[in-house]
Amino acid sequence: MAKAKSARRGVSRARKPKSLRTYLDRIRNDPAEFRTVSRTVNPADFDVTAVLGHLNQRREYPTVQFNNPLDLNGKPSKFPIVTNLFGTRERCAEAIGLARSEAGPQLGSLLCDRIDRKIAPVVVTSKQSPAHQNVLTGRQADLMMFPGVRHFEMDLGPVYTMGLIAKPPGGNFYNITFVKVFPEGRDRAGLTVHTLHMSRILREWEQKGEVCRVAYVLGHHPAFWLGTLNNTPWGDNEYATCGGFLKEPVRLVPSVTWGKDFLVPADAEIVVEGEIIPRERTVVNPFGDISTQYQGQQLGPVMMVKAITYRDGALFQNIFSGHREHMLLGSIPREGTIYNHLRNKLGNVTAVHMPYSACARYTAYISIRKVEEGQAKNTGLQALAHVPNLLAVVVVDDDIDVFNEEHVLWAVNFQVDPNRDISLITNMRMPADPRALGSTRVIIDATRPSHIAFPTRLRVPPSALDRVKLSEWLDPVTGGAR
Amino acid sequence: MTGMRIFWSTCPKCLKAFVVAWELRHSKHKLICPHCGHRYLADESAAIDERHTE
Repeated sequence: MAKAKSARRGVSRARKPKSLRTYLDRIRNDPAEFRTVSRTVNPADFDVTAVLGHLNQRREYPTVQFNNPLDLNGKPSKFPIVTNLFGTRERCAEAIGLARSEAGPQLGSLLCDRIDRKIAPVVVTSKQSPAHQNVLTGRQADLMMFPGVRHFEMDLGPVYTMGLIAKPPGGNFYNITFVKVFPEGRDRAGLTVHTLHMSRILREWEQKGEVCRVAYVLGHHPAFWLGTLNNTPWGDNEYATCGGFLKEPVRLVPSVTWGKDFLVPADAEIVVEGEIIPRERTVVNPFGDISTQYQGQQLGPVMMVKAITYRDGALFQNIFSGHREHMLLGSIPREGTIYNHLRNKLGNVTAVHMPYSACARYTAYISIRKVEEGQAKNTGLQALAHVPNLLAVVVVDDDIDVFNEEHVLWAVNFQVDPNRDISLITNMRMPADPRALGSTRVIIDATRPSHIAFPTRLRVPPSALDRVKLSEWLDPVTGGAR
Repeated sequence: MTGMRIFWSTCPKCLKAFVVAWELRHSKHKLICPHCGHRYLADESAAIDERHTE
């Protein structure tokens, strides 16, 4: 019956374009990866983040779908919430077509290699676009219809946490970046923008005194989002970068408001078309952000809503701020960026890790094959210059596992002469330093000194470890351990 | 150059405090208390902690 129905509708048997739902179909039968909540939840009253917080305390990081949330008017919303999609390195790897076994140290580099495998987007008609199955304009385009999540107790209110798309004046390329949207009513919202390229785009439109056309996308395949996070040069069309991550062209559709002059993702769940008003500001934040502190209340640009489109049964995607998925979204591409940069510049890097203890943003542990003194500091300087939000770089030898923080801190404790091996780099600019402290960065050379006679680490001989098989040597536990 | 300067404002209505970027310390824009929604100028705060590193 279903088959006949599909045939009547002319639905192609070809593989469906990648979308959030095609990805969820891959994981929804695995309870370690995907859970649902079907009772009514009020995301504006912390119900969603309370569930995620409990799971986080249990060190469980499934994607969670909330099937019956309330909207921002307190009424049942038709849009289920999908959140915590990026909660594990394994899911991030699988999202871009890698094996789970590739989620280790090499993941960042593998991910960054995709930047150069761009695939040009294709344009489809409105009829071919699921994102245009429902089109709301005028007073029907109501930003309050969504189940916005208030994440933390001091947050200003519910926030949308996904991606903004914009083009610069005269430029024929699209930039896509994660932007927080604070709804203020039916057709108006404040934004917080943190990336250099998107800030530049808004500034250039503002200098012309013209509105900046934007599309805010609330749901797409995770590979699409991972494609937006890389340090691409100004002028790159990020739709093409995202295509490389998806391994297929991003399908675009002319927007409802501006037609072919502004293309939006055809396979998105929800698209909000809007205009950012030049020189208008509104109060946004506090918001519990990546540093697991609150960003202070501040002024942000204002978006006026022009149209809202969504697919049938659309899902509302959310990022669980300040937790694993938020951390991994930034750390994996940055690990790859640093690794590739150091590999090209110095050639001696063996691994890069941005640990959760520094919110996977502000500290890098880097291992190198050291040949001579001074290389560690040079490595640290290169990393700091390349990734502006780094506060600290710890450089270790390649026999230290940078993904094992105990190993790294052992090296810091026993191989560092603070007077010689800790370098303070003063007056370095950091975009949006969360700490309200100074602008000083630090490089710690925790490699084993090679210029002096120096102790070495104890170890059981590897030959002995190979010879002794635990399963053969330990007495059986039956009857109690002895 | 210093890091991002902030201050804490205590809402004159609910007397709960929240964190604010320095750009709003002397701004014409009213703060919005995240605890009760009250809008007020920073100078109308019940208390302000604006200590800052040198």
